[in-house]
Amino acid sequence: MAEMVTILIDGKPIEVEKGTLVIEAARRIGVMIPHFCYHPKLKPDANCRMCLVEVEKMPKLQTSCSTVVAEGMVVRTNTPVVDEAHKSVLEFILANHPLDCPICDQGGRCDLQDFSHRYTPTGSQFTDTKRVYEKGFFSPLIEKEMNRCVSCLRCVRYCDEIMDVKALANAARSTMTEIVHFAGHPLDCEFCGGCVQICPVGAITSRLSMYEFRPWMMKRADTTCGYCGDGCSLILETRGEKVIEVMSSHGNGRNNGDLCAKGFFGYQYVNHEDRLTTPLVRQADGNLHPVTWDEVLPVLAERLTQIKLAHGADAIGGLISARCTNEDLYLFQKFMRLAIGSNHLDSTARYGHVNAARALRRVQGTNRWTVSYEDIVQADALLLIGTQVTAANPIVGLKVKEAVKKHGATLLTLETLVPSIETTSNITNLSALHVAVPPGRHAAAVRGLVKAAFDENLVDAALSSRAGDYVSRIRAAATALPYPEGLDEAALRAVAKAFAGARRGVILIGQDLLQAPGGHESAVNLLDFLLLLGKLTQPGWGLAPLTEENNEQGAVEMGATAEYLPGPADVGDAAARTQIAGAWKDQPPASQGMHLLEMLDAARAGTLKAMLIVGENPVRSLPLSAKAASALEKLDLLVVQELFLTETAKLADVVLPACSYAEKTGTFTNSEGFVQKVRPGLEPVGDSRPDWEILSSLSVMMGYPLEYGDAKEILKEIRAVIPGYRVLGAKPEPAQVAAKSVEQYLTRGFAEDLPARYSAGAAPKANSHRWALAVGQTLFHSGAMSTKAQGLLELQHEGKLIMNPADAQRLGIADGDRVRLTSTSGEATVPVTMLGRIPEGTLFFPESFREALAGLPSMTPDPVTGVPYCKQLRVSVDKVGTGGASSGPPPARIAGGK
Amino acid sequence: MSVADLVKTFTFYEILVGMKATITVFIQRIILRNRKAITLQYPHEKRDLPGSYRGMIALLKYDDGVEKCVGCDLCEAACPSRVITVISAEVEGEPAKRYAKEYYMDMTRCLFCGLCVDACPVDALAMTKEYEWARYNKRDLRLDKPQLLALGDRNFPVREKKLEFQHPNVAYFNIGHKNLPHKAS
Repeated sequence: MAEMVTILIDGKPIEVEKGTLVIEAARRIGVMIPHFCYHPKLKPDANCRMCLVEVEKMPKLQTSCSTVVAEGMVVRTNTPVVDEAHKSVLEFILANHPLDCPICDQGGRCDLQDFSHRYTPTGSQFTDTKRVYEKGFFSPLIEKEMNRCVSCLRCVRYCDEIMDVKALANAARSTMTEIVHFAGHPLDCEFCGGCVQICPVGAITSRLSMYEFRPWMMKRADTTCGYCGDGCSLILETRGEKVIEVMSSHGNGRNNGDLCAKGFFGYQYVNHEDRLTTPLVRQADGNLHPVTWDEVLPVLAERLTQIKLAHGADAIGGLISARCTNEDLYLFQKFMRLAIGSNHLDSTARYGHVNAARALRRVQGTNRWTVSYEDIVQADALLLIGTQVTAANPIVGLKVKEAVKKHGATLLTLETLVPSIETTSNITNLSALHVAVPPGRHAAAVRGLVKAAFDENLVDAALSSRAGDYVSRIRAAATALPYPEGLDEAALRAVAKAFAGARRGVILIGQDLLQAPGGHESAVNLLDFLLLLGKLTQPGWGLAPLTEENNEQGAVEMGATAEYLPGPADVGDAAARTQIAGAWKDQPPASQGMHLLEMLDAARAGTLKAMLIVGENPVRSLPLSAKAASALEKLDLLVVQELFLTETAKLADVVLPACSYAEKTGTFTNSEGFVQKVRPGLEPVGDSRPDWEILSSLSVMMGYPLEYGDAKEILKEIRAVIPGYRVLGAKPEPAQVAAKSVEQYLTRGFAEDLPARYSAGAAPKANSHRWALAVGQTLFHSGAMSTKAQGLLELQHEGKLIMNPADAQRLGIADGDRVRLTSTSGEATVPVTMLGRIPEGTLFFPESFREALAGLPSMTPDPVTGVPYCKQLRVSVDKVGTGGASSGPPPARIAGGK
Repeated sequence: MSVADLVKTFTFYEILVGMKATITVFIQRIILRNRKAITLQYPHEKRDLPGSYRGMIALLKYDDGVEKCVGCDLCEAACPSRVITVISAEVEGEPAKRYAKEYYMDMTRCLFCGLCVDACPVDALAMTKEYEWARYNKRDLRLDKPQLLALGDRNFPVREKKLEFQHPNVAYFNIGHKNLPHKAS
């Protein structure tokens, strides 16, 4: 319990914790002290002098944002002296602030405007002309109008303290202070939009919505971001049928008001002109033609019924995107299992998250994290394995930065990236111990980590006596392996030792580990590692897989995969089946379902006749060698529910327009297992409908009505069926490790695939392709949707191969040159750029532009989980052209700020 | 009933009292012919309107022909009957300048209260003395920016002078002081 002190503010007594700032204490009793430079997230700076208050027994006025409360302190905020001081500070600020409120985007929500109204200064003693700066632009997305700046330096401090990017700085002195970025190149930062959000005046604003709105015109919808699994709360601000901007408020949601480039600038795909607005049906001429819902639904229901009668329910399969809401996912699997009667369904959680979910379920009995973001922040040691956390999950990245910078946590990284000084933050720069792991070698690194636990004698003594057999057999298997070749053995051992020595530790794993061969085994091995250290069941410890898509966790829990019923429960689990059947008043099919790749094989073989694909584009997501297109073409009926006419939708017989997350009601489950509301900000675009509504009306037409009045009714049913959805609190309650399940794993469960989990794996094939290429997430894009967002395209409009500058120099390649990549299965020509964070001998390509690589990657399915691995490959590099002539066209300028 | 009441009843006295003014003017105008008619033969004759007359609303320009409106949306906010729709944008090639790309007034709803004119920070709006705006089609009363500017042009032949400014980047509009030029009468 923190020590409390009592102070008197304007005659009102208040008891606050010791160390609280006066301005905070005042806020709690409803006294709003005007301020510019103070922000609860940032360290006090006391540079704006606006928050002066009178404190008894202190000779001068004090800045309340930097004064800490003391017992018996008497503070007055509304005396004539204080008022006079506030007025003169305002007069100083207004001496240079232009009176251009009519054209300023901040007008209507500007702190300076509000305070000016409050103190109604009508005249000024300053007769000099105001300072003048040219209006500038930090980038195509962020504009600066330094005339309006009040020099509070919130943006500079946010960029440094919270984002750790340090892209902004203050230059010049006194009234001529100006916020600048590093000269010589345009702003090259993470584009989190934090400076735009935190600016108290209109000095830094977003160019995407420049001059388009007034704050009072906009409707606000509190919703959840649809990009990555972090589950950020955001506020969609809309005017009419258009999303104008996205904001996030301090103290709100899991992200606490912080956003990333995708969240802040990536909203425009919702209003993209290519959005599907009517159902399309392939007609006799072989083309897709627009029709009405009333025309398409009965025909579609009849076709599905015909196929079901002719070939059996097992001839129909389904695939859904994990970007859909829980309600969509739940109704989809219910529709497939009951209305169709087939267990052949899958979601995009198959692309990686299934690996982690299955491992967690197997060992700890719950597929959820046993930690929350708060545990990451409070952790002593954080172990990051293959996460690329800043790019793939930026807000978890911020939590890691907070843990390291504010709480002094030890950061241990097993990442592909290497530390380097660059313009955007690089999480490995903060790490205390870093092991550089080439793409595809993370699984080996994990095995090395387990071996190190034995070699360093880190194994929990209690566990050794309780489950001697488990420990000795893992020891035998793990120590029999050599340390992985090419990795720093000493560093690996030091990482294991540092992690074991911590009081609280969290292991974060990401796509580089889970979407590479051995992903599933590695996740189990890491749980072994935690068990061996004796930490798995302790509070504040846990394994936390990060998800790439926003609702992969929900997809698994809703049972939208072949192997799981809602819960998730195994399809074969008799008790779960009885419970589900009780809720559904019908039996789900008992047959073992096919996962995505098996479905594609079946389609190719002709046994799968129809497929229902919701929001996913396997033709693009899988490499050419998976031959998804040819498989889908062989189907008798392909139905696609989509936002855009994607590659897959172009093959479809029926395309149904679906709503984006900005038009839907529902819930998303983030990667820590926290269920959050999605609220609509817009009316559905054109004739589009929410996915669950389409499925619901289809089921009625097929004579198996799954009728719901709205998404809430589905949620009600989900709550009855799935534990963990009953209470949607303000904070997640981390799942508990099931002791029974761990016991079972320690006695029997571990043994079944022990040799497979601790085998050196196939040595990388020696061939002439010596470069390791990894395809992965970048900071500015996630999936294909973000490539429809104009704002993000301004930041990154084409996929560029990233290589180490030293490598480039050796090959004589300059920024913008084009190179030909050759792999065993094909070749591609792409432009190149350089970054020091990519280690030598390694290449990186952004996943959102993977069509540029098309034929290059080959695909290996996971033998157990069916996850398609296609993100790591070996290539050769040849220079084919220089920049000027062959670099792609520049992006279309944002016309008129639109 | 007294005799006096009886007389009043038979002579329609109350009516005569009520029509005193009418009868007086009738006698002066028709019989004595010493008084001017106050009835105007509208539409052949029209009244002189006071300067504060609140007629059709117009958008104004500076003397150099640049429209004054900076698209701040304050008129839209001030309007009690949602007459005004402003769609603002940056001036092409001059990102420091904001203007109303589109500007609509739905005059079927207008109360002619003048709050928009008061709200305008740059005196870009003014009320004219035009009132003959009966239309067969209601849609004709949804005025767009060219129509509103034309209204301003024909009613305010003298335009406000655009001030010389210290720097084109800071000040590009006159701050309004209700110094509207005189309306054409």
